[in-house]
This record gives sequence, structure tokens and C-alpha cells, in this order.
Amino acid sequence: MYGGDTQGNAYVDDYLVPAAAKEGVTLKRVPVADTKDALNRVLTEKQSGTTAGQVDLVWVNGDNFGTGKAAGAWACGWTSLLPNMGVTNPSDPLLSEDFGTPVDGCEAPWSKAQFTIAYNSAAVPGPPKTLAGLLDWVKEHPGRFTYPAPPDFTGSVLTREVLYSVSGGYTNVPLAFDQGAFDRLTPALVTELQDLKPSLWREGSTYPKSSRELNALYAGGQVDFTMTYGPAELTKLVTDGTFPAATKVLALDEGTVGNASFLAIPSTSGHRSAAMVVANLALSEEQQARKADPGIWGQFPVLNPGALSPEGRALFGRLPSSPVVPGYEVLSKNANPELAAAWVPALDELWRRQILAGK
Amino acid sequence: MPESEVLATRSGQRTAAGPSLKPCMPGVLLAVPAVVLVTVVVGGGSAMVAAQSLGLMPLVGRPELSAAAYTAHGGDLLVGAGLSLAIAGTSTLLACLVGFTAALIIMQGRWCGKLVAAMSTLSVPLPHIVGAAATGLLLADSGLLARVFGAAEGWPAIVGGPWWVAVIFEYAWKESAFVGLVVAGTLATRPVDYEETAALLGAGRLRRLRHVLLPLSLPALMISGTIAFIYSFGSYEVAWLLGRPYPEPLPVMALRLYNSVSLTSRPEAAAIGVITAAVSLGAALVALAFLRKIPLWR
Repeated sequence: MYGGDTQGNAYVDDYLVPAAAKEGVTLKRVPVADTKDALNRVLTEKQSGTTAGQVDLVWVNGDNFGTGKAAGAWACGWTSLLPNMGVTNPSDPLLSEDFGTPVDGCEAPWSKAQFTIAYNSAAVPGPPKTLAGLLDWVKEHPGRFTYPAPPDFTGSVLTREVLYSVSGGYTNVPLAFDQGAFDRLTPALVTELQDLKPSLWREGSTYPKSSRELNALYAGGQVDFTMTYGPAELTKLVTDGTFPAATKVLALDEGTVGNASFLAIPSTSGHRSAAMVVANLALSEEQQARKADPGIWGQFPVLNPGALSPEGRALFGRLPSSPVVPGYEVLSKNANPELAAAWVPALDELWRRQILAGK
Repeated sequence: MPESEVLATRSGQRTAAGPSLKPCMPGVLLAVPAVVLVTVVVGGGSAMVAAQSLGLMPLVGRPELSAAAYTAHGGDLLVGAGLSLAIAGTSTLLACLVGFTAALIIMQGRWCGKLVAAMSTLSVPLPHIVGAAATGLLLADSGLLARVFGAAEGWPAIVGGPWWVAVIFEYAWKESAFVGLVVAGTLATRPVDYEETAALLGAGRLRRLRHVLLPLSLPALMISGTIAFIYSFGSYEVAWLLGRPYPEPLPVMALRLYNSVSLTSRPEAAAIGVITAAVSLGAALVALAFLRKIPLWR
């Protein structure tokens, strides 16, 4: 799994691994810099015909899942066998489709996430209320904003948010990829991002390469905004003093993009049953509540509140709230759906050619 | 045992072993396993990469011989190759200058020579990625030096800037230690007499440097410089950590494409790998051709 999230690593090591050990499964967390590395490993194993591969369970979603599914990298049709799938909502669109790719039982849901923009309220007294307002703020305050260069995951989401904004809302962008819509809608996106460029950090001559670099700029006070698809990390970063104490989450009237992330079993895995035990365990009320604790990881649960057992409801009721990040109900208000996975590389490549390499 | 006796015993053994070719054989045989292993790994890997780049091993679809992967990123590829050459060339040049100077200081043998030798010895085993991270922490916009001097806004764009200063600095620093130690090692094995003789004959410091020390260290300087060049040309992590997202040096571009989510970009990554390997091989051949012209090498 992605190893750059210390709280996520700690949750897996301190809670999930011991719980798996009780079920007789030895779970070993292997950190990767990018989920693509894990997918690449699986693809390489597939290419070489391995059937007892090194990877047994991957934390995945979006285009990595879509690409892997197209290449036959995942084992499919196993999630209905998990007893704890009963606590999820089968009609939840976030769980049945992953960036437009039908899940088809090729991955079990794990967490929900909401794209979040955070700002330093000491430096930005009257925060903008819409994304268009944010872009105007940037033009009025040159050098105080930037975003990670796509294909970085976070930067890539921001370009999709801007696409929604310049198209007049997500309802005007067809979720399934369509070349006609791409050609019709993206010129406005390119114009907007080009106009924004001179007002960015270092006049837009370069961009942070990852959200981690953006976080470093924000922590160093060089920009006033940062962004993340895992708002859970904000609580800890503010508490330990990395981020300014005045850090707040920017509430946008039109909402932000939300998604779910999953656990997938590679088709090359040699320990499929053990991986299924862990995926089921990760879906249990107890583990989902632990994971949702802002002091532990703060990842939003995928369970259906209506289907919880009384004990489960009590577990979630006891969770403390975060001083920085509002609850999932607030964050996911007016949540925008993610575009289909095929949009992502197309937009990333467009950004690369027109914005990064273009003058 | 007196030296003459040792020589006598050795030659005695040699005659006892029979014809003069035989004693060489065990040596060659000992090297065979390592050579075979290296050939299989390097040759096999290169062949796989070449096959992928020519579209013979696609992840999806049927294998088909094509050069599409080489032309897919035409402009970017040329810019990237130029950038890689510039970074590797500049840092190698700096490394050779600094390294040669360090070697001269080490050869003097005084306390500062020992200090330089110790510093070089410490730098060499340090992984490049650690060096890159340290350089970043030191020289970045919100790095240690920027904080010490309180130059938040006025700090020059060293890390991620348009001139790739931090990347060149890191390579030059690490490789200069390597060049310095190799050259000092070679100079140490040569009789010191040459320099002393020249001094006795009245040659000044500059002339001794030009006519004695430089020619003596040239082969070692060329070899270590070539190794440093090929390393910095093909390495990825320093340029990725300390560089900017565009334009990209070849290895960074290759890795981005290799990790790209689109299934067709693996052959493109392999094509860049092939080009990088070809340029490196070319650099090695050029260096070898120059070495052959040096009288000392012959």
C-alpha cells in the first residue's frame, strides 16, 4: 500500500496486522511510493506468468484499478463471498463503480475520501466560497498558491475540479469519457489554467512534483493553500505543529469530488483466501470504527449507517471529532462524482502538453 | 626470505607446472561464473528492454515490430537527451576539477590531505538518494540555509530551478569524492621520484603539475570521469528529487512513462532506456578511444 501516510501505516501495523494474526493470517505491509508501483509489479508478474506472486492485497482505486482490470491484473468475483459486505449499501454508487469502472467484485471497499482544500486562515481572512472564487483570489494574491503537477494524484484532482468549475458544474461534464466532450470542454480549462499561471508560486514556471512537496511549501509558509484527498492527515499535521495552527478546511458551495478506495487481490496472488480474510476483516465494524478515529487515521468508513449492529453504532458514536476537519456528512455535502478513469490520463497528458510544457 | 629466493621459488613452481599457458587457466576459470552471471543479467535485461521498445512484448494486444515507441515523444525525447547530457557533462567536469584538486591535496600527505582523504572516503559510500535528500533539506526554498539567512522570498531557485543547480551540485559533490580517491590511488602507486626529479631539475609548481602530475593522472581521471558521467546520465533519483517536472532528463522521463497508467507507455519507457544505454555505451567507447591515444595507457 501507499507508504507516504504515517497514520495509515500506523493503523495497519497496530490494529489490522494484529487482528489478522488472530485470524491466523500473517499480514505484511509493504510500503510503495505510488500505488502504480504495486500495479506495475503485478503486471510484470503477469507478463512473466507468475502464479504465486509477491503481492496479495493492494490498496487501490481509480485509474490504477481500471488499468489493472483491463489488463487482467485483479482476481474478480470474490467480494460477494465476504460476510461483512452485508454491512455496506449495495446501491451506493461510490462502491459499485470506481471512477466509472464497474467494480464487478474485483475489489472490496475500504474507505471513503473527500477532496479537501485547506488554507491558513491567518493569511486568508475572507476565504473564497467557490472554486471560481478561489481562482480569483489566486489572481489577486500572486505567488501564494500552487498545485502539484499531474499526474500527481492530488494535482490531477484539482484540474478535474477546475474542469467542473469552468464547465458550469459537474452536471455539464459527462462522466464517461467521450472525445467529443473532451474537445468541447477542455479549451476553457486550458485557458483558465494558463491565465492562472502567472499568479502561481514562482510565476507558474514550475510546479511541486507531488502533494508532499506542496505540503512542504504550505508548512514553510510559502503558499497559503494546500490540498489533499485524505483530509484525515490534516488533524495530525496541525496538532504536531507542521501546519499552521490556523489551518482550516475550505468549504466550497458546489462541493468537492469524493471517491472510495478499495482492497484488490492480484490475479497473480498465491494467497487468495488469506487476502480475502484480511479484506473481510478490514470491512468489520470494529476495524472501520478504529480507522475512522481521527487520532488513529481518520479515514471515512464505507459502511451503511442503517445496517450497523447496535454495538457498531455505539462504536461509531464514541468516536471523537477532529478540531480541524469537519465530519464526512459536512465534507461530502454536494459531493461531486469522479470522472471515468479514461478521463484522467487524457487530462493529465493535456495538462502536461499545454500547461507545463506550453508557454 | 631474501627476494632473490622468493623469485627463484616462484619460477621453480612455474616450470614444475608445465607449459606457460596453464597457470593462467585457473584464473580465467575462476572468473567464468561471475562473467557468465553478469552477461546473462545485463544481456538478458537489455534484450528484454530492446524487445519491449520494439513492440515485441506488449501488455495487451499482439506483438508487432514497430518503431512507434521511439517516435512517440520526439520533441520531448530530444530536449530530455540534451538536458541529461548537459547535467551529466557539467557535473562530471566539476567533479573532475574538484576531484583532481582533492587528489593533489591528498598526495601532499599533510594534515589537510588526510582530512580531505577522510572526507572523500566518507562521501563515497553514502547513497546518492541520501545525498539528494540532504541537498534538498539544505538548499530548498524552505531549507536550512534559507532559514538561517532568513531569505524566505529572496532565496534563489536552486532546488527545482531552471538551471538544475542542486542536481549538478549533488552529482559534482559525490562524484568528486570518487574521482579524488581514484586519482590519488593511482598517483600513490607511481614512484614519487618523477615529481621530485622534476623539482630537482628546477621545474616550478605549475610546470610540475602540467608536465608530470596531469599526464600521470590522466588515465585514472578519464576512467573515473567516464564512470561518473555514465552514472549521472543514467541515474534517476537525484534529478527527480531536486529537479523540476519539465523538461525531464531521460531517466526521469523513462520512469514516469514506465509507471504511467496507460498500458501503451511501457514500450515508450523501454525505448528511452535503450537510448540512454546507447548514449552511455557511446560515451564509454569515446573515452576508450581517447585513452588509447595516451602514451601512459599504452
